Amino acid sequence: MAGVLLDRVEKTYPGGFNAVKGISFAVPDGGFCVLVGPSGCGKSTLLRMIAGLETITGGQVRIGERVVNDIEPMGRDIAMVFQNYALYPHMSVYDNMAYGLRNLKTPEPEILSRVQEAAKILELNDEMLKRKPRQLSGGQRQRVAMGRAIVRKPAVFLFDEPLSNLDAKLRVQMRIEIRKLQRRLKTTSIYVTHDQLEAMTLADMLVVMNAGRVEQVGAPLELYERPATAFVAGFLGSPPMNFLNGRVEKPGVLRLGDGTELAYDPAHFTATSGAEIQAGVRPERIIFSKDGSGIPFKLELVEELGLGQLVHGVLADASFTVALPAGVHAPVGDAQRVTIAPDAVHLFDRKTGARL
Amino acid sequence: MVENRRFGNLLPHLVLIAGAIVVAFPVYVAIVASTLDAETISNGHMSLLPGSHLIENYARVLFEGTGSTTKAHVSDMLLNSLVSALIIAVGKIAISILSAYAIVYFRFPLRGVAFWLIFLTLMFPVEVRIYPTYKIVSDLHMLDSYAGMSIPLIASATATLLFRQFFMTVPDELLEAAKIDAAGPYKFFRDVLLPLSRTNLAALFVILFLYGWNQYLWPLLITTRDDMQTIVIGIKKIVDTQDALTEWQLAMATAVLAMLPPVAVVVFMQKLFVKGLVETEK
Repeated sequence: MAGVLLDRVEKTYPGGFNAVKGISFAVPDGGFCVLVGPSGCGKSTLLRMIAGLETITGGQVRIGERVVNDIEPMGRDIAMVFQNYALYPHMSVYDNMAYGLRNLKTPEPEILSRVQEAAKILELNDEMLKRKPRQLSGGQRQRVAMGRAIVRKPAVFLFDEPLSNLDAKLRVQMRIEIRKLQRRLKTTSIYVTHDQLEAMTLADMLVVMNAGRVEQVGAPLELYERPATAFVAGFLGSPPMNFLNGRVEKPGVLRLGDGTELAYDPAHFTATSGAEIQAGVRPERIIFSKDGSGIPFKLELVEELGLGQLVHGVLADASFTVALPAGVHAPVGDAQRVTIAPDAVHLFDRKTGARL
Repeated sequence: MVENRRFGNLLPHLVLIAGAIVVAFPVYVAIVASTLDAETISNGHMSLLPGSHLIENYARVLFEGTGSTTKAHVSDMLLNSLVSALIIAVGKIAISILSAYAIVYFRFPLRGVAFWLIFLTLMFPVEVRIYPTYKIVSDLHMLDSYAGMSIPLIASATATLLFRQFFMTVPDELLEAAKIDAAGPYKFFRDVLLPLSRTNLAALFVILFLYGWNQYLWPLLITTRDDMQTIVIGIKKIVDTQDALTEWQLAMATAVLAMLPPVAVVVFMQKLFVKGLVETEK
């Protein structure tokens, strides 16, 4: 058991490409940290640096009390689950799980009991342990890959997009299993994904990355409710946040591109009058007004999700989405009006994207 | 083909049968000839039905020797061929799989140069470099030895290239998983790469064994003693006689014996081959 500490970690490839630009954060012992970001943001590289599969060109990585920069992967007390499972195709499931322990010269009875213990946790029966990986389904292979990590009893689990190769239904199921497993074992985990829903549901601690930098670190709900940048605001949440360009007319009032007024809560933002801003509104915080008040909204398309409806249209010359809960139906007709509560409006600097 | 065309299959079958006859008939003649006695063959009216001298002829070539320019027993020649073909096949595989492993999985200075040097050897088979190679082998006193017969033929680019291509298709994650599973380079090679290359090994072994077995020019050059010659040279020498008729029945028996080990290798390895093709691993 150990926490993981990253201190100004850098990765520059020999060609000069700077993939990870000075990242610092700490994962507490037993915490579940999710690194999330669009592809190419450096999240996988960062995970592989923690694993020891990529060299660290600057800064420090600590696992527990040890600086592990120059320690081989096998000495770092970690286990990793790969996107394509990376099971040894010619070995049985049992041997796949036992291989690492055998290399560490663990006595065979000890290996047997650890593999059986892991198999029980993951609901793999004895018959499955004898099979080759290719005779298993995707979900079972994923379990074996996790089993291979569990038997090692490492200080840290590393997951590199482990659910991306599964179909949607299985992904939800395995997501829940991973979370339960981590709760039970209380092993520090670092999990990389590009799926914001997976990130939100799994994490104790969410790290949103973009272009080799950390945009924001915090609890999922905190990031969702108080995104530090427009990037985080747009990345978390599905459907994504709506963005409107505008200018601060006076504290509490915005003037949008087409001249419409929009109220915001001045207590939470330090925007000066005249500032060029980007306003963000979550789709589920918008309601259609029935009495003719509010901002004009041109309705274009309604998507039925069963769980609710998504209404797409145009508001103040920008494309805009409204999410309606189940039981609420979109009004009929193109020309509509919506009301946006002042406390639902987030303000970001239009140039830097930072929260004001 | 899903459709069942009774007459549509006739023509392809005829072509196949004709091809099979062209290949199989000379072999059949050789087998028949090896069972006849000397007079039947030399009077020019050879029958196409087997004779009664099978055991006698084979026993003579194997253990007594013939009246031709070589006095060696065919059993010795078979052994020589077997040993050198095995050394060539195993040696080539061992060297090429290791060099491919180095080129694909390790970053070392002049790695590109090493690869191109190996690649370049494709352009220099033994026949091209025969004089310098002979000089080296003779200066090292390796004439008339198994080492001299096999080592110069071992260095091989084709097998290295084949393994290189195969290793490059093995997912990187396997190497990374092995690294995390505390397997060093040696263990990864032995426990992961080698078992995965099993079918490639079998295929290469067949090809290289036949290559070694069928060597003619090189063993001819460097063997001078009768007891070191290979079966392929032996066939040629048994046909050559001084002041006597060629004992064709013995030459044919030798030829049949020379065919057996390669056939056995192909037949035996084919099972592994097909098995490997059916269960695609990785």
